[in-house]
Amino acid sequence: MSDTRRMLAEMADPLFAELGFEADDARDWARVEDLGLPLLLLSEEDGGFGGNWQDALTVFRLAGYHALGPSLPEAIVAKVASQGSDAHFQLMAFARTAQIAGALDAALRLSVDYANERQQFGRPLGKFQAVQQSLATFACEAAAANCAAVGAAQALDRGDAAFEIAAAKLRANQAVGVGTRVAHQVHGAIGFTQEYSLHHLTRRLWQWRSDFGHDAYWSGVLGKSVIERGADNFWPDLVARTD
Amino acid sequence: MQTFEPEAIDWPDTAGALRDRVRGVLADHGPLDPVLRANSWTKPDPEFSRRLGEADLLGMTWPREYGGHEASQLERYVVIEELLAAGAPVGAHWIADRQSGPLILRYGDEAMKRRWVPAIARGEAFACIGLSEPSSGSDLASVRTSARREGEGWVLNGQKVWTTGAHVAHFMIALVRTEPGSERQRGLSQFLVPMDTPGISVKPIIDLTGAHEFNEVFFENVGLSPDALLGTEGDGWAQATAELSLERSGPERYLSSMVLLLELIRVAGDDAGPSVRELAGRLAAEAWTLRLMSASVAAKLARGEDASLEATIVKDLGNSYEQAIPELVHRTVAMDLDGPDVLSMVTAYLLQVSPSFSLRGGTREIIRGIIARGLGLR
Ligand SMILES: Cc1cc2nc3c(=O)[nH]c(=O)nc-3n(C[C@H](O)[C@H](O)[C@H](O)COP(=O)(O)OP(=O)(O)OC[C@H]3O[C@@H](n4cnc5c(N)ncnc54)[C@H](O)[C@@H]3O)c2cc1C
Repeated sequence: MSDTRRMLAEMADPLFAELGFEADDARDWARVEDLGLPLLLLSEEDGGFGGNWQDALTVFRLAGYHALGPSLPEAIVAKVASQGSDAHFQLMAFARTAQIAGALDAALRLSVDYANERQQFGRPLGKFQAVQQSLATFACEAAAANCAAVGAAQALDRGDAAFEIAAAKLRANQAVGVGTRVAHQVHGAIGFTQEYSLHHLTRRLWQWRSDFGHDAYWSGVLGKSVIERGADNFWPDLVARTD
Repeated sequence: MQTFEPEAIDWPDTAGALRDRVRGVLADHGPLDPVLRANSWTKPDPEFSRRLGEADLLGMTWPREYGGHEASQLERYVVIEELLAAGAPVGAHWIADRQSGPLILRYGDEAMKRRWVPAIARGEAFACIGLSEPSSGSDLASVRTSARREGEGWVLNGQKVWTTGAHVAHFMIALVRTEPGSERQRGLSQFLVPMDTPGISVKPIIDLTGAHEFNEVFFENVGLSPDALLGTEGDGWAQATAELSLERSGPERYLSSMVLLLELIRVAGDDAGPSVRELAGRLAAEAWTLRLMSASVAAKLARGEDASLEATIVKDLGNSYEQAIPELVHRTVAMDLDGPDVLSMVTAYLLQVSPSFSLRGGTREIIRGIIARGLGLR
């Protein structure tokens, strides 16, 4: 992680943790603005932070991790793309990808901690192989969503990222299915209560999966484009995007 | 909680030139059989391996002194992903280039390095892995094949099984028990065993497709010279498990069925229905994600960082992906598995071999157990 990004994270993390899912736009927006976060992507001449998309990823991901209430990603993206444009839709799909990645990591953390604390049959749940295997699949999905988000951010910083955003949002959407299922299963009934915090993550994850392109949408878009390009271009196209 | 710290990958500037070099060797080699392009890293073709050696595409990261080319890990990554995506028959040298060469360079003595490493880099010396035994599968620490000291050297007795390419290999790197009566992970050592040593017999095991890829290997009073010991006596377990992280995260862990995705795209055409389109899109997205994950482990290993948890995650996701492709294509496209068209032939072949993808190199359950330990659950 670069120094600016580490600094951003150190700034945003405690505030997001404090505001969390209870934050609301009317009451707490000023504190988010005080940190200059909505201007993240504007250049320094324009009074912004001069950040790139990998910086934005750090902020979006943390917003997801803490299930942050205020619509900060929307505000950040609105500064660089106008609502209703294709670019806006894509950039918001990227923002949701990053939020999903963060929220999955948070739900994984909760689930692993819970599995290590909660005892049944005289030992922690996490000692049961069936529970271990489910959490391992969850960890893989969270890892895939996070790597996809980084890949899309890096592509945005390089230029055209239509393919990467489509692929990353689709991959993150799929991870939502596995992650939410395992998180709730491991938590048992307590995870199904209003009092316990898991649902702040999982209900947002479900929402974010359908926001700015559900699975069928993005797989249709991607499928159409790879079929049009043809079998012989698939691999050369894929590697050309990074070479 | 972040188990896999993703990173922005610094792809080498030389990538394009390296890919051209690989494509050149492939063009000289001539057209590949479409079915054999699937799972091509188990298909040996010694002549092809020698051509790669001549083109400086083997032993790429090793010191020049030992026949290597001092390229970076990511440059090597570019070459191997290009070979696998094309379905090149890289089986003969695959194991030697991936893990045995690096292992010898790390633990071997000077004579061993000079004897084997340049020959591997020329595509002339091939290796096999001697871990599994009839009663040691997932429970690898129970190996019983033994080497006991006799005079200056060692005498090897026992049996290995499922040894891929033992019938093509020039040497085996075997994990055996050197301390009589020792238990589990203790008292194990690694040996470099030349396959032409008297007392070794190799018996084919034919797999369910009718192919001969793996073998049983018997050792009957096999005399080994003192310098056959690889690394330190008693450190075999640590050495062998370090080797596994080279083995688990490469592009071969997700590309074994790539040729079928390409065939799906080929037959889809302009009038593809939504189910085929969505399947192609979903498989493309996963290929893109896994490529970044696998390369990001290569980048970590190149910096000398421990990436064993990440490598295991890549293996689990990658194997699930390459195993799912034939299942999903079979489910989505009407076909006759006995049919003569390429899509049917490749699907039929991959349906049969894909069960092995989540067995070889550590089973899915063992791999997930390792991930769970990484999560702090065990
Ligand atoms: C194509 C192929 C090539 C191979 N090549 C080589 C090679 O070159 N060299 C070599 O040494 N080996 C090789 N192997 C062997 C491979 O490493 C073993 O198959 C693997 O380690 C599993 O061992 P096993 O087959 O004895 O299955 P077992 O260990 O008997 O396992 C059977 C099933 O039980 C499950 N299981 C076992 N223990 C546990 C547990 N504790 N908890 C939960 N589930 C468990 C396993 O996950 C698996 O699903 C190859 C295998 C294949 C299929």
